[in-house]
Amino acid sequence: MKNCLTGIIFIYCVNFAFAMNHSGMLMNEKGMIMNSNTDKIPKDCTTISETIDVTIRAGHQYALKFPGKMYAFDTQEINVKPCAKLNITFINDDQIRHQLMIHGLPGYLYSEGMFHLELNGAGQLEASVIFPSQKKTYLMHCELPQHMEKGMKSQIKVDGGDGDLPSIPGISFPIKADYYKIDWSQLTIAIIALSILLGIAIVLIVVNYAAKISAMGDKILSNIKPKS
Amino acid sequence: MTLKKASLFLAVCLLILAATGIIIYTFPSQMGKADLTPPETVFNQEKGNNSIVKPCSNEHPEWRPSQVIDDVLINAAPDCSPDNPYEVATSVKGTNNVSMATLMQTDFAQDAITMGEDLDNDGDPDVIHIKLEVVELNGSSPDGDYIINSFDIAPGIQPGLWVYAPKSRGMAVKNFNSLVSNPLLRAPSPSIRVEQGDKVYITLENTHYLPHTIHLHGVDHPWVNSKGEDNDGMEEHSVFPGQSHTYEIQPRHVGTMLYHCHVQTAQHFMMGLGGMFIIEENQPNNWVQTFNIGAGQVRHPAKAVIKNYNQEYDLHYQSIDKKLAHIIQEANDPRLIAERMARDYNITESFENYFLLNGHSFPYTIRDAMIITSENEDIKLHVANFQRSSIALHIHGHKATTVALDGVDQPEALQITRDVIDIATAQRNDIHLKTRNDGLHSYGPGLWMFHDHVPTGTTTDGMEPGGNMAIMAYKELLDDQGMPKMHDHLFNEVFNKDYYAKKQAIWAEGSYAKLLGDAGLLIPKHIYIILFGLAVGLLLGLLLVGVLIIKRNLKS
Repeated sequence: MKNCLTGIIFIYCVNFAFAMNHSGMLMNEKGMIMNSNTDKIPKDCTTISETIDVTIRAGHQYALKFPGKMYAFDTQEINVKPCAKLNITFINDDQIRHQLMIHGLPGYLYSEGMFHLELNGAGQLEASVIFPSQKKTYLMHCELPQHMEKGMKSQIKVDGGDGDLPSIPGISFPIKADYYKIDWSQLTIAIIALSILLGIAIVLIVVNYAAKISAMGDKILSNIKPKS
Repeated sequence: MTLKKASLFLAVCLLILAATGIIIYTFPSQMGKADLTPPETVFNQEKGNNSIVKPCSNEHPEWRPSQVIDDVLINAAPDCSPDNPYEVATSVKGTNNVSMATLMQTDFAQDAITMGEDLDNDGDPDVIHIKLEVVELNGSSPDGDYIINSFDIAPGIQPGLWVYAPKSRGMAVKNFNSLVSNPLLRAPSPSIRVEQGDKVYITLENTHYLPHTIHLHGVDHPWVNSKGEDNDGMEEHSVFPGQSHTYEIQPRHVGTMLYHCHVQTAQHFMMGLGGMFIIEENQPNNWVQTFNIGAGQVRHPAKAVIKNYNQEYDLHYQSIDKKLAHIIQEANDPRLIAERMARDYNITESFENYFLLNGHSFPYTIRDAMIITSENEDIKLHVANFQRSSIALHIHGHKATTVALDGVDQPEALQITRDVIDIATAQRNDIHLKTRNDGLHSYGPGLWMFHDHVPTGTTTDGMEPGGNMAIMAYKELLDDQGMPKMHDHLFNEVFNKDYYAKKQAIWAEGSYAKLLGDAGLLIPKHIYIILFGLAVGLLLGLLLVGVLIIKRNLKS
C-alpha cells in the first residue's frame, strides 16, 4: 500500500516536473503560472534595464469606479522602459477564478507569446516577465468569458508603447460603443428653438445690410486691385 | 457684376450645403454614444415612499389556530392571511344552521347556503341550495378616475376581473371610506364542495350587467332541470342581468370538477368566471365545507379525505390578458363593454400577462397560497388549470403522485410520481404530496418554491419574480405571522408597487447597487445642439429671403 502510494506520488512529481520543463507551466490547486521568466534576457537586450515590483489586484470591486463595468484590475496601465523586468504579485479578491494574461511576447522566451497567471479563487501568485526593447503596447487581461469585455482589461506600455488599446476602462474609447438615453430637458429644447431663431436673424440681418456689406466688399477689392 | 452675382450664388449654394451637412451631422437623437466614461449609476428607487406595501398586515392573528365554531372543527392555518374561520363554519353548516353571531362575522347573505333534509339518514344534510352572484372586481366608475371593488393581485396590480361569489350581504366595499372589496369578493371564484348523492340546487342570481351561465364541467348533471329548462349552462340559455336560474344536480361520481360561465366563453373564462367543483365521497356524518373562499387550504376537509390525508388544498391556476381585463376599466356603458369585449377584442391575437395562484401573484401568494406542512405528512392537492395555456407544475424538493385525473381515480399502476406535472386548460389533477424525507418524495424541510415551470408563469407582466410562484413551507421555517424566514431582503424589494411598475432596477441594493443599478442619462452636447439650431435657422432664413425676392419680382 505504502509502495503504491509512493509510486503515485512519484508519477505525479515526474509529470509535474515534465510540465515545468517543457511548457513553463506550474500548476496546483491554487492556480497556475505559465511562462514566468526571472532571468532569460530577450535577444535584443543586453541587460535588464529596470526591475519594477507591481501588485495587481483583480475583482469586481475594482469596477466600481468605472460605470458600466463589472470586473476590473486595480491598475489599467503600467509603463516600463525597454528591457524592463516586471515582478508581478497577482491578487484575486473575488471568490471566483481570474487570470492575468499578457500577450504578444516573443515566442522563443514565452510559448505562444503569452505570460499567464491564473488563480482558482481568492489568493495570490508571484511571477516575473522580462520585456524586449521594442516600443510596444501589450494587452494584459483576464480571458474568462466576458471578463475582458466587462472591464478586466489593461495595458503595459514599453518605451511609451505604440498607442492605446481600445476600451481600457477610463483610458480609451470602445470601438463598438453602447448607446445611452439622452437627457432631453426643456432647457435643451429651448436652446434649439433659440438657435433656430438666431440663425434666421443672422440671415435677415445680412440681407438687410447687403448693400453696405457689398460696398464694403468693393472697397476692400479696389484696395487690393493694383491701380491701373 | 455678373462675376459678383455668380460668386454670390456660389456662396449661397455653399452655405446651404454646409448648413445641410451640419444638420445631418448634429441631428438630435434620443440615444447617444457615451463619452470615455459612461454615465454614472443612478438610483430610481425612492426610500420610504407610499409604493411600499407591508408584507403581512397581520389583521386577524386569532383566525390562525385550530378552533371549534358552532361545533365545526376548523384546522389551523398558520399563514399570514388565514381563511375566516366563521366563513368556514358557515360554509360547513349552512347559513340557515349556523348561529347568528357566527353569520354576522361573515359577509354571507342569509340564504347563501341552505342545508335541507338528510335524505339517507347518515347524519349530514343532503339537500343543499347554493346561491351565486357575479361580481366585477377592479371595475370603473363614472364618478371619478378610480377603480372600485379593488382587489390587488400583486403590489399595485389591479386587472379587471369577474368572479362568481357566494351570495353576500351589505357593502361590497370594506367600509364607507374604502374602495377595496369585502373579503368574500375576491379572485378566484370559490371552490365549491358537495357530497356524492346530494341533491344540489345552484342558483345563479345574475347581479352583473351582462348575461352569464353556470356550466358544470365534468359534474354529473342531467341536460335539463326538473322544470325542463337548461341545466348545462349553454350560451343559448344565458341568464340576463337581474334574472336568476337554478341548475339541479345529484352527482353520482366523486372527483374534482369545474364550474364556469359558457357565455362568450373565451372572454368570460379568461375574465375569471370559473372555479373548482369538488364532489366528496358519501360518508356518514360528513359535513363538507361548501365554499372554500379564495381556494387554498381546506380548513374542514371531508371525512374521506381525513382518512388518508393530513391536509387538503385547492390550487387554482388562472391567467389574465391585461388588454381584455382593461376593457371594463375603460368604459362604463355596458353596450361599449359588450362591443369592445365581444367584437373589438380578438383573443386569437392576445397574450397572457398575469399568472395567478388562488387569485394572487407572487409576492401576495405568500400571504394565502402557501402549502404549509410538517415532516411525514400526506397532503391532498386539487390542482385545476383555468389558464389559457398549459401549466407545468413543479414543486422544489419533492416528487408528487397524481392519484386522479379530471375527477377519475387513476388505477395504482397508473399513479405516476414526477416533479413536473403537466395540466392542460380545464384539466384537474388530484395530487398526493408526501413530506417523507426519503430523497424521493421529499428532500427534507425547507422553504421550497413551487410554480408553473412554463417560463411565463413566474412573471407578472414579464416581471420576475411574480406570477404563480409560491412556497411550500415547513412550519419551523415560518415566523409567528406565517411569513417565510430568510426572505427579508427579497420581500423588501418585491412588496413594492414600483417594482411591478418596472420603475426600479432589480439589483439596485446592497454592495452591487453601483454595478447593477440603472445607467444614468447622457448630458446632451450643447454645442451640437446650438450648431444644429443655427444651421436650421440659416436655411429657414434663406428660404424666407428667397420667397420674399420671388414675391417682389412677381409684383414688379
